[in-house]
Amino acid sequence: MTDWPTARLDPIRQMLVLAKVLPAVGVVERVLDASYDRVWSFMQDLEHSVPAFDPMVGSLRILSREGERLIVSARTSGTPFNLRFQTELRDGWCLMRSRMYVVGMAAMPLGDRTRYVHLEGLPYLGATPLRALRPLLRRVVRADVDGIARQLGHPQTTDHDR
Amino acid sequence: MELERHVSAAQQGDLLAMAALLRGLEPYVGRICGSIALDDGDDALQETMIRVLKGIRSLRDPAALQGWVRRIAVREATKLARARRDPVLVERLPERAARDTVEVGVEIADVLWRLTPEQRAILVLRDLEGLSEAEAADLLDVEIGTVKSRLHRARRAFRGRWQG
Repeated sequence: MTDWPTARLDPIRQMLVLAKVLPAVGVVERVLDASYDRVWSFMQDLEHSVPAFDPMVGSLRILSREGERLIVSARTSGTPFNLRFQTELRDGWCLMRSRMYVVGMAAMPLGDRTRYVHLEGLPYLGATPLRALRPLLRRVVRADVDGIARQLGHPQTTDHDR
Repeated sequence: MELERHVSAAQQGDLLAMAALLRGLEPYVGRICGSIALDDGDDALQETMIRVLKGIRSLRDPAALQGWVRRIAVREATKLARARRDPVLVERLPERAARDTVEVGVEIADVLWRLTPEQRAILVLRDLEGLSEAEAADLLDVEIGTVKSRLHRARRAFRGRWQG
């Protein structure tokens, strides 16, 4: 007997599941006009990439690393405040969770370009009035993805609404 | 299932635990959704995972995770396959039938294409999951006689090849 057909949940779909489940996050899906290798080699270097594309992050430091699990400290621009993130980082996938804020980034090759999903927001589940923040958070995320595209030298891209 | 240890953390909103559940459940749910929804299996899997994580706080006993997820997966995959059934079958059956006669022989997927989503769901529950007819009837919320007749028609579609 041969195998039963098996469906797959690629990193983009995984991130879109989390975006649907978390009510108070913004999410943007975009095709970046750069190769996957180029995109992910930039993104995975969190200490350099995040402050470069996110104007709200002044600096980011990796405090510890054990396999795919990192502890990361991010300082908000112009403030002395640090957010400490439990982080999961592997090829095409980065998920960062603090008590107050979550960030998710996923990428996959799409020919010689890259399919990319980015989410950010508040770590709440279930019904919450904070859902009203989604449009605002989407603008924040769109600005971040604009920043990523600029860093890669290709600012002209189009979002898929989510 | 080792995944049960992630359930309580996910119920409290731990994003990393939710991601661990997604990855851990993927092979199991992927086989159910792929076998029932076929080419729409990835979409069915994604919808199932959304329902699983949205409802995770209602799961009182983490040990019941697999059965609870199975129920959601079968229903989501059947619903999606039913909604997309007609255009898919019309377009793709001749291509599938042609493949049968060439080099690939009779694979499960080729036979599944000839069945309705409801018949595929019965086959998955009986032959992949090993549920009894009574358990399958309970999960699908149908009479046991309906399970028997759907299973009979589904197995007949294999034209004797199912059991070798």
